[in-house]
Amino acid sequence: MKNLTILVVDDDPVIRRLLQQRLLKANYEVFVAPDGYKAEVILLDKHVDVVLTDLMMPGDIGGIEVLEIAKKINSDIDVILITAHSSVDTAVEAMKKGASDYLEKPINFDELFLRLDKIANVQTIFRSAQDLQNAMDVTEHAASETIQALEMKSAELQGKLDEVENILRNTRYSEETRIIQALDTIADLKD
Amino acid sequence: MLKILPSELKLIAQYIYDISGIFLDESKSYLFETRLSSIAEGLGCTTYQDLYNKAKRDPKKAIERQIIDAISTNETLFFRDKGPFELLQHKILPEVIDKRTPSSPILKTNIKIWSAAASTGQELYSIAIIIKELIPDLARYNISLLGTDISDTAISQASYGKYNKFEIERGLPQKQLQRYFTLFGDSWKIKDEIRAMVNFKKLNLMLPFTALGKFDIIFCRNVAIYFTLPDRKKLFNKIADSLADDGFLVIGSTESLTGVCSRFVPKKHLKSLFYQKKL
Repeated sequence: MKNLTILVVDDDPVIRRLLQQRLLKANYEVFVAPDGYKAEVILLDKHVDVVLTDLMMPGDIGGIEVLEIAKKINSDIDVILITAHSSVDTAVEAMKKGASDYLEKPINFDELFLRLDKIANVQTIFRSAQDLQNAMDVTEHAASETIQALEMKSAELQGKLDEVENILRNTRYSEETRIIQALDTIADLKD
Repeated sequence: MLKILPSELKLIAQYIYDISGIFLDESKSYLFETRLSSIAEGLGCTTYQDLYNKAKRDPKKAIERQIIDAISTNETLFFRDKGPFELLQHKILPEVIDKRTPSSPILKTNIKIWSAAASTGQELYSIAIIIKELIPDLARYNISLLGTDISDTAISQASYGKYNKFEIERGLPQKQLQRYFTLFGDSWKIKDEIRAMVNFKKLNLMLPFTALGKFDIIFCRNVAIYFTLPDRKKLFNKIADSLADDGFLVIGSTESLTGVCSRFVPKKHLKSLFYQKKL
């Protein structure tokens, strides 16, 4: 399982650095952004698996907007919101908008790592399901080409058989003529 | 997981066949266990015989419905393999519209389309989206879109038209996702303008379905593969009865009617096959 790449978005430089250090120490790849604008620049430029964003930030881009920007850029990105106890209701609203989870301040790192493990597991399962699906598509595509070619061929053969039957049953001609006509009809098939 | 005994396999396989027409190979005991053990355990059954007895005695047939839901495969996607939908858009619909448009401009064009194994509705909604995009003046048409499936749960999800990101992401282009669906948390719900075009109802394809009337277009993809050959023959024979003489049938891309039904002839358009009745 590969390590997740995490984007930390927080206006508080102390929390930003704390999160960065703890995540790096736990072997995650980490980007940091002090606000939503920087976050968007990073999301457009780098592959990110998880966005960890403060819910309340000064300016016009808060955590909810970061969530919306991230989901718009790549709907597979998981977003975890960091919230003060007083704004849990907002965090729950955010989950309705597609956030994966929220964490209350002060951050409990054991809890954070557990959530990240869970996200990594789900993303891995999701990817292997996609891989399997792709493999199935390839197999199905090859099988369908073969089956469709056979289907057309067998319809053609059936048509010829019907034709030969009609010729052989046509009593207006002598048996010899009928046999010759039937053989000619079959001969058409050989190329 | 509750283990199935060899002696129970035949009984359960026969029971599943009787209620759904789905033929499960008795050699695949894991299939019975993975699909049925949670139902059996949920009902407090200690054996599959027990589950069978309970299901048979249940006057409301709720257990039977649960079993059908568990057994029927609901793997389906929006625009699942592009071929049939391109076929519909570029070949079948234009031809059907051409044939069915009355000479009088005050009369409406009647077209009936049936998705015979609708599962959770993705196929029928995909068809509805194509129609919406292909026909600008829908008011002049009377298009009936019917989706049927044997599973109650699948039909109710189809009717609700809500899909999670796993169900929606593959196959459906972003543009159509944004235009025809509304985001609810992590799920997408089909918009009313498309929902209003379709109808879903429960139907067991093993039973007669002439009451549905005649259709101009029938999609019957990837369901007959679960039936025995004799049942497949009966099914496509009934489908031939339910298809207009100049109608179109689309089956799964890895399915074949050779040796199944001689009333249809295959025809090729670009990379896809469709079937028409032999006249």
